[in-house]
Amino acid sequence: MHPGALALFFVLLLGGCADSPTDTVKIAFIGPLTGGVAANGLGGRNSADLAVRLRNADPRSRHRYELVVLDDECKPNIGVQVATKAAADDHVIAAVAHYCSAVAMGTVDVYHKFGMPAVVWGAVLPDVTYGNDFDEVHRVNGTMINQNDVAARFMTALGYRRWAIIHDTTDYGKGHDKYFSEALAAQGGTIVGRFGVTSDQQDFNAELTKIKELKPEVLYFGGLTPIGVRIRSQMDRLGMNTVFQGTSGIVSAAYIEGAGALAEGTVAFREGAPAERLPGGAMFLEAYAKQGYGDPPEAYGPFAFAATNLVIDAIEAVGPNRRRVVKQLNATRDYASAVGPITFDDHGQNTVPIISKFVVQDGRWVIWEDSDYARGKRKLPRPS
Amino acid sequence: MSKRAARIDIALALAALAGCALFTGLFLRAEAQWEIAVLAVLLAATLYAAGRSGVAARLEATGAAHPRAASLAAGAAMLLLVALLHSSHFALLMMATVALFATACMGLTLQFGYAGITNFAGAAFFGIGGYTTAVLATHTGVPHLLVLLAGGAMAGLIGSLLILPILRTRGHYAALVTIAFAVLFKTFLEVNDALGGPQGLKVPGLELFGWAFNRRIPLGEDREISFFASYAALSIVLALLAYSLVKRVERSWLGLSLDAVRVDETAAACFGIDIARWKILAFTLGNFLVGLAGGIYAMMLGYIAPTSFTFGDSLIMVSIVILGGLGNPLGVIPAALLVVVLPEKLQLIQEYRFLLFAVVVMLILVFRPDGLLPRRMREYFAGWKRA
Repeated sequence: MHPGALALFFVLLLGGCADSPTDTVKIAFIGPLTGGVAANGLGGRNSADLAVRLRNADPRSRHRYELVVLDDECKPNIGVQVATKAAADDHVIAAVAHYCSAVAMGTVDVYHKFGMPAVVWGAVLPDVTYGNDFDEVHRVNGTMINQNDVAARFMTALGYRRWAIIHDTTDYGKGHDKYFSEALAAQGGTIVGRFGVTSDQQDFNAELTKIKELKPEVLYFGGLTPIGVRIRSQMDRLGMNTVFQGTSGIVSAAYIEGAGALAEGTVAFREGAPAERLPGGAMFLEAYAKQGYGDPPEAYGPFAFAATNLVIDAIEAVGPNRRRVVKQLNATRDYASAVGPITFDDHGQNTVPIISKFVVQDGRWVIWEDSDYARGKRKLPRPS
Repeated sequence: MSKRAARIDIALALAALAGCALFTGLFLRAEAQWEIAVLAVLLAATLYAAGRSGVAARLEATGAAHPRAASLAAGAAMLLLVALLHSSHFALLMMATVALFATACMGLTLQFGYAGITNFAGAAFFGIGGYTTAVLATHTGVPHLLVLLAGGAMAGLIGSLLILPILRTRGHYAALVTIAFAVLFKTFLEVNDALGGPQGLKVPGLELFGWAFNRRIPLGEDREISFFASYAALSIVLALLAYSLVKRVERSWLGLSLDAVRVDETAAACFGIDIARWKILAFTLGNFLVGLAGGIYAMMLGYIAPTSFTFGDSLIMVSIVILGGLGNPLGVIPAALLVVVLPEKLQLIQEYRFLLFAVVVMLILVFRPDGLLPRRMREYFAGWKRA
């Protein structure tokens, strides 16, 4: 190879390193862009991109923003790799990161090591924020803790006091049992019985007969749709007239198909809300549609949008400096976002995320506030 | 051969080595699209020119004449690169990842390349190493050197159970057995609460002889040595050891027997070669190397979950072995560099990156069907054909 060409190449290479503009602030977006859950990652990516575009179009913004998009493939090893890439680059001030909990669990250490602020937009495992005391890690979406907190407050407000719990013995079921029990204790409800079942159990007569004797007002079920359907059907055979309360695991069309008419009056709770019901949802959907993205925002798109705006606002307020941005984010109280107000606790967890309350009415999951039950036209069972 | 010609050969070899190290460094550091494109074109042009001008053949002859010196020099060059990149965390992480994948694939080379056992469960054995390390390092006070060896041993042990159905099947059927195992392994992890279930496990950082690998080392006022530097150095040394082990196996009568088993089982059996024994040896030793590399990888990343060890990840390992040149442990090094780093460099094209990556792999296999560095005939005496 000609030495001149080599020299030219190096000059170009050095030039490439030197000319990165200083007034552009980089923010990393990390999510699964390929693989089984790519639809969620792409929706999140577009939503974060939307936040950046809107901000760059705003003449009042102090900096220009650039979104560095990285694919974590929903694999922790790749997640650590790309998080390291983003964090090791001094020009990247903050990250809007992760849909998959396992990936977030792996990367929080990276953000902490490098002191880079990160706002999680989709991962739901409580340990992502509560399993550590890293100042750098924040989360705008809710977890099963928030879900159960809302559930306990709501149900006790309806006047129920006595619960029995059936949960499956996976992490999901055990987590719901734990957090609902804690939230219920705080609201003054009592738990008269607690039963762990495997997630493929067929017959629940033994558990249900005991529960019937204990006379709870509500049967709380922490688990997924298949056994939820079986329990609801077998309750009916034993003639039990208690409220059936589920978790996000049964908010699916399959539950209604499986349980048929018995599904009527089942209540359940889920993190987030349909985009059109969010406080800034209409604005978000309109702006999203205007950009003509190829993929829909999906359920967590608004959260990625809110997280990106939150990060950008922090940078606008204190400048592109990681340590100051971390401090600014930790002080977030009643920040108005597209997904409602955001307030971080000392673990960086949003304590007031939107949790939707659902009830089955006429073979559909209906938001509680829109249902006949809320209007008083129909009533949940209430044993005397 | 005259003394002067020999001297030129050595100089040429050193220059080539420096070139490789420089290229690796630049490739790891390159970020912009055009930088990557220029480097790729440059590499292709250099390889083509070296092949046409006979420089490549000359380099190969020099390497074959001084095998020990060549591998030591290559290792030294890579360690020097680690020293030069001491503060760039990401480049070091990628170097360590490449070295660990290369080590694992050298283990697979023993299996496919020599004994002819197709193993589609590479990532599962990698994961066995990682999970064993995670559990032992978290719950026991066993020194980490032993923990890593236990990771390798566990992979070898579980592999030696899997060998039973493999010995009873041939060809595609044996490959199917390993595919089934790869799928089974991931499902097993997902339903196993003690191993963290689908959410995975935290892994403590490596500590060898009182040296904590995760520590940052301040260097003067505002500089520091990355915590990945020690992992990169360790991984490179491990890859070098694995290389020399595999090379030695190949050169010895063990390698000859393994080749005989692969080429024709019936003929080998007629000559009194115990087929089962050699397959067990290659499979177990290979899995040991894979598990060892997996253990270090887990400790470096600090977190493992079942999604990192899927059947797809096993296929990536298989593609490294085939791309490098089946049976050539040297080939897996550039192949691992390509397969591990290229998708990362293609992050710019986001969701389309695996599409382009797949096209690149296919093109290489169309134009170089035997891989980047095809395996050559053994030379017990360097240059005897030419002499």
